[in-house]
Amino acid sequence: MLVGPVRQRHDQTEIRIAPGSVIDVLRTLHDDAAFRFEVLADLAGVDTGDSMQVVYHLWSETTPDWLRVIVADLARDDPRLASATFLWKGAEWMEREAYDMFGIVFEGNRDLRRIFMPPDYTSFPLRKDFYIADDSSRSPGLGVRHMEQVHPPVASAAPIRRSRAR
Amino acid sequence: MVTRIPSLDDPRVLVETPATIYDAIPPYAPRTEREAEFYTLRDGEMLVNMGPQHPSTHGVLRLVVKIEGERVVDLDPVLGYLHRGIEKLSENADYHHAICYTDPLEYVSSLFNELAPVMAFEHLLDLRVPRRAEYIRVLSCELNRIASHALFIGWMALDLGGITPILYSFIERDEIVEMLAALTGQRMLFNYMRIGGVNGDLNHEFLSRLGDWMGHALAQVEADTALLNQNEIFVRRTRGLGRVDRRTALELGISGPNVRACGVPYDVRRAHPYSVYPELEFEIPTREEGDSYARYMLRIDEIKQSIHIIDQVMHQMPDGPVMAQLPRRITPRPGRAWAAVESPRGQYGCFAISDGTDQPFRFRIHDPSFVNLQAVVPLMPGNLLADTMAVMASLDPVMGGIDK
Repeated sequence: MLVGPVRQRHDQTEIRIAPGSVIDVLRTLHDDAAFRFEVLADLAGVDTGDSMQVVYHLWSETTPDWLRVIVADLARDDPRLASATFLWKGAEWMEREAYDMFGIVFEGNRDLRRIFMPPDYTSFPLRKDFYIADDSSRSPGLGVRHMEQVHPPVASAAPIRRSRAR
Repeated sequence: MVTRIPSLDDPRVLVETPATIYDAIPPYAPRTEREAEFYTLRDGEMLVNMGPQHPSTHGVLRLVVKIEGERVVDLDPVLGYLHRGIEKLSENADYHHAICYTDPLEYVSSLFNELAPVMAFEHLLDLRVPRRAEYIRVLSCELNRIASHALFIGWMALDLGGITPILYSFIERDEIVEMLAALTGQRMLFNYMRIGGVNGDLNHEFLSRLGDWMGHALAQVEADTALLNQNEIFVRRTRGLGRVDRRTALELGISGPNVRACGVPYDVRRAHPYSVYPELEFEIPTREEGDSYARYMLRIDEIKQSIHIIDQVMHQMPDGPVMAQLPRRITPRPGRAWAAVESPRGQYGCFAISDGTDQPFRFRIHDPSFVNLQAVVPLMPGNLLADTMAVMASLDPVMGGIDK
């Protein structure tokens, strides 16, 4: 099930799993008496520039560490993953947010629609190829006003920022 | 798709108006199973639109409520009216800059919004914070918690129709806000936490205001809440309403006072200690009932515990610097970090990924109100429409944080 090394840094332990095993892994972590990760602290989408990831942070009273479960290597053009709502109903809105911002489709979430952006919006703002003027954040107003991606990024634009933290 | 409404000039004449996405029933086919179920009306049911500019929605929240008579059948919160794209902005700003963006997220408890990212960035940098800075962080955060809870008490009463309590709770809140203004230079958006410490040391004005306030803080809390605790209307409209049980609370992932009011002692300050909380003595108040009244009472208990913490912090405060030595342009090694703090509304987290440049590669804010607000959907059915806001107020959501 693990597709990468288990890492530990500060108060966080990190495991990396394949998209296919997410249901089994989360169920074991939640139900097994040795783990008992009852609190879903966070669910976040990540676009590394090459692929998509979904990152879960879990808390359990059995360990002093936060557990970070990284579901790695979702296809960038069609990211799909099983929903975690069968364990935590509260994951529903967080999955909606990940869908809204990254276009990650959570299969089994019965309410997967946009949550922040208007319903007729078509792009996914937190993806790394989403157009935003370079210095828009340093000079408020530039590029921020027209956040909607009307044109696909042209070839001459700056290359997609890719993560070196894989 | 068009809707027909009676003309203003002659009610017998129907005027055709094009449907918009702001109509109660959206002008497009349902996109999900849940949406199809919600927007299908059975006999005797109707949709009522609350907001987005409703005075008691704590910001800009739109609730589509399905009612049958006076009873709520179902509820569909529509978010996004305050969405500012703070995560995207922060990914295009450097680390110091990203912290100022987090201030207006949860504008009632800004210090916690700054603390979580700052702690995550410090993890990325493997940085140790001077002890005096840690103590000042705890001190200012606990003051902010009291201000936020005091405001909650007033707001909740206001949502139930009582105007007086907010006038009193604002006295308490204003004293603290003025105190923090003396410390940080700002009344609401403090921008006080820095990577590696805090912006400035304690000053004379802050300490003298704090001393004054500590003298009457507890008495003030008692006086504020005496208006409500035994008030028959208040108790009847909160006790037994919006009840969550322990199991549902964990499934829904709600945190903070809302989950502790159901008997789950989950408080990040003890569940996963950070800063100097292991050295301080305080209790995690819990209640078993899980209703609106329990959530309200629990916040009063928490104010008392916070006053206790401030007392200890002032006695144990060490001397020393308030900032770690670090270069102005920081470039952490590639890696990931997660930090969570206990904000007045629950577990406030920040997940940051560094790719070795001076800008965070991914900056994710986990806001407790966002998850807590989800709980209104299963809580409401069966209640009176007028109690919708009473239950929502007891969950204490802040839309600035929810909408990011």
